[in-house]
Amino acid sequence: MSKVEIVGPRQLLGETLSLVRKEGDLHIEPSAVGFIDDIHKKEIHSLLPDEKALFEKIFLEELEGKLKTLFSCLVIDTMRESFLSPRPIIDTVSRTLDKHLEMCQVLCKKREEIRQDLFELSGYKVFLATVSTLIDKIQLTPDLDYIGITLKDEKSVIALKENLDCLADTSCELLTVPSEDGSLVGLIAATKDISEDIRSMMSEKQMPEFTFPESIRSMTFVHKIEYLQEEIRKNEADLAAVDAKLTEFTHRWGPMYKAAHDWVHEQLSIIQASAFSFETTMCFFIYGWMPSEKVAGLSASLQQQFAGSVMLEEIDIRMEDLERVPVVLQNPQYFKPFENFTRLLPLPSYTSFDPTPFIGLFFPLFFGLILGDAGYGLILLIASCLLPRIARKNLLFQDAIRILRVCSLYAIIFGFLYGEIFGDLGHKMFGLKPLFMDRQENIIPMLYFALAVGLAHITLGLTLGFISALKRHTKKEALVKLLNIILIFTIVALIITSFGIFPELLTRPLIITVLILTPLLLFSGGLLAPLELLKNIGNIISYARIMAIGLTSVLLANVANQLSGLTGDIVLGLIVGGIIHLLGITIGVFSSSIHSLRLHYVEFFDKFIELGGRKYRPFSGNQKEDSAQDISGVTEGNNKKVA
Amino acid sequence: MDNNILIAFAAALAIGLPALATAWAQSKIGAAGAGTLAEKPELSGTIIILIAIPETMVILGFVVAVIILLGG
Repeated sequence: MSKVEIVGPRQLLGETLSLVRKEGDLHIEPSAVGFIDDIHKKEIHSLLPDEKALFEKIFLEELEGKLKTLFSCLVIDTMRESFLSPRPIIDTVSRTLDKHLEMCQVLCKKREEIRQDLFELSGYKVFLATVSTLIDKIQLTPDLDYIGITLKDEKSVIALKENLDCLADTSCELLTVPSEDGSLVGLIAATKDISEDIRSMMSEKQMPEFTFPESIRSMTFVHKIEYLQEEIRKNEADLAAVDAKLTEFTHRWGPMYKAAHDWVHEQLSIIQASAFSFETTMCFFIYGWMPSEKVAGLSASLQQQFAGSVMLEEIDIRMEDLERVPVVLQNPQYFKPFENFTRLLPLPSYTSFDPTPFIGLFFPLFFGLILGDAGYGLILLIASCLLPRIARKNLLFQDAIRILRVCSLYAIIFGFLYGEIFGDLGHKMFGLKPLFMDRQENIIPMLYFALAVGLAHITLGLTLGFISALKRHTKKEALVKLLNIILIFTIVALIITSFGIFPELLTRPLIITVLILTPLLLFSGGLLAPLELLKNIGNIISYARIMAIGLTSVLLANVANQLSGLTGDIVLGLIVGGIIHLLGITIGVFSSSIHSLRLHYVEFFDKFIELGGRKYRPFSGNQKEDSAQDISGVTEGNNKKVA
Repeated sequence: MDNNILIAFAAALAIGLPALATAWAQSKIGAAGAGTLAEKPELSGTIIILIAIPETMVILGFVVAVIILLGG
């Protein structure tokens, strides 16, 4: 990252910011701390907007607000690009916008009212559609009273028939028709003298009558149905007409207003950025940060556009600036998906290491070490090859699948090293032998191996911490890290010696080393430094989980094989074994991922990562895309309603 | 009492007690963490770390249990 200063005549500030925005590489620094020397502080001050700039800002903000309101009304699927430049016609746009906005708001209000009416009428739709098939019969007997009812199923029909005594003497009749939603629409035709009794009976038996709106209570049954059907038809036609008008308006005026909205958005972002600029009586100053490789490009663009009037200068980054340097995560393609793990933590500071490559290397390794089953790995590999076809637009899901693919390859490799294909199935069926170690038989050696992995990982973390401290010129911290490494190795050597692996003669020199280095650690790192050493040793022991969780995984797989064998039936055995293995894979994936992550977050990163970096946010032309998203965002909900 | 029974009992205590302690600690941290996440989702990494810290107890217990059973 480079620290830069852009200087030019005050009248070119707007154009310069426009170019900087177009290039989209400069992270503008709102504070001048570290940029302006004390001797120049009196001459250089924050840019104060004049009256004209203030009026322009108010005008543009008002215009942007109106344009957003307009777009919230319009129906937008795809919009053609406008070739009109909004700048010369912005005053005309502002005037026509008021008229168009008023018209669109009226249409919008009408559309909402119609939608509300249709929503209320939608409750009658199924009933009306079903009853309309009986309308011919109803019209033949206008002197009868009709009672509508929605019945859940055939049982409800039987229950209703049992309660209708009038069915026996044919003074009433029950007609039922299946409706679209699977329920049954019933219609009781009865003479007017018994209809009230039927209604009371239905009320008592909690069989609610289908009710019509209060406003049409006085109408006959047939008229009620015809009236409601007509209302629905009319409202649907009105809604289609309003939508057609709004679509036509969008097609005709939408592109121009969208171009105007983008331009207004750009101008407002430039005005906002100018507030972070500084000035003297003659010049403006823009301070900021940008990737070093982009400096030459922006410098050349400024030179080309302003012929040397506006200059970009790179300033030396001082020690006190290091905390303020913005950070951006830039990793090769392989490591990109692993940045999601890094983002769960605050950004690392500029002087610290980006943890992504380390997590990219060690996460799949630990996953493989824990899961370590070629069969499970193969299933996960197949799943990771098939799954990307779904949810193509979900970037997080796609990243997770890429990580799973790498992890599954490691699981296959370690599966062969441990001699495991679906637990001991590989050994039983194909005589597969472990290339490295049988986890079930060699629990203690596997524990030592897991601790050795922990020792290597923690030592790497401490070494990186040592390098990081040297880079920051914090020599004491570097010394503490170095002493920790030496002491850890000395203690490990002492333990190995006690097991008789190293010669016993080494014991005394090792103890003397510990006795000499511990006070040194105390003096360089303070009272808490020995505790830090104990924590590091605890961290190494924590890697025993690689063995522990791996062992549970293989035992579960073996249980699946044994249970499927006990069934004594091939099909049943396959089903039982398949289900338990599926459970094993699910638990294996989750526990391996969680514990691998934990080993990184708690044990490893703690040794060398200094968190608290500022995010690199370039002043970018991509904000145009943001504004487009704003528009699509407000119209999306609108379109959904239409659908 | 048979030595094997005592060894098995010691191993069970070595893993069981830290497991209970870890579960109790994680339940407290997990509940507080869930509340924190509802207000500040950006702290998810920190919450994972906080929840994961007590797990070391049970892992240490497991190591001790294995050493009692197999290494003793």
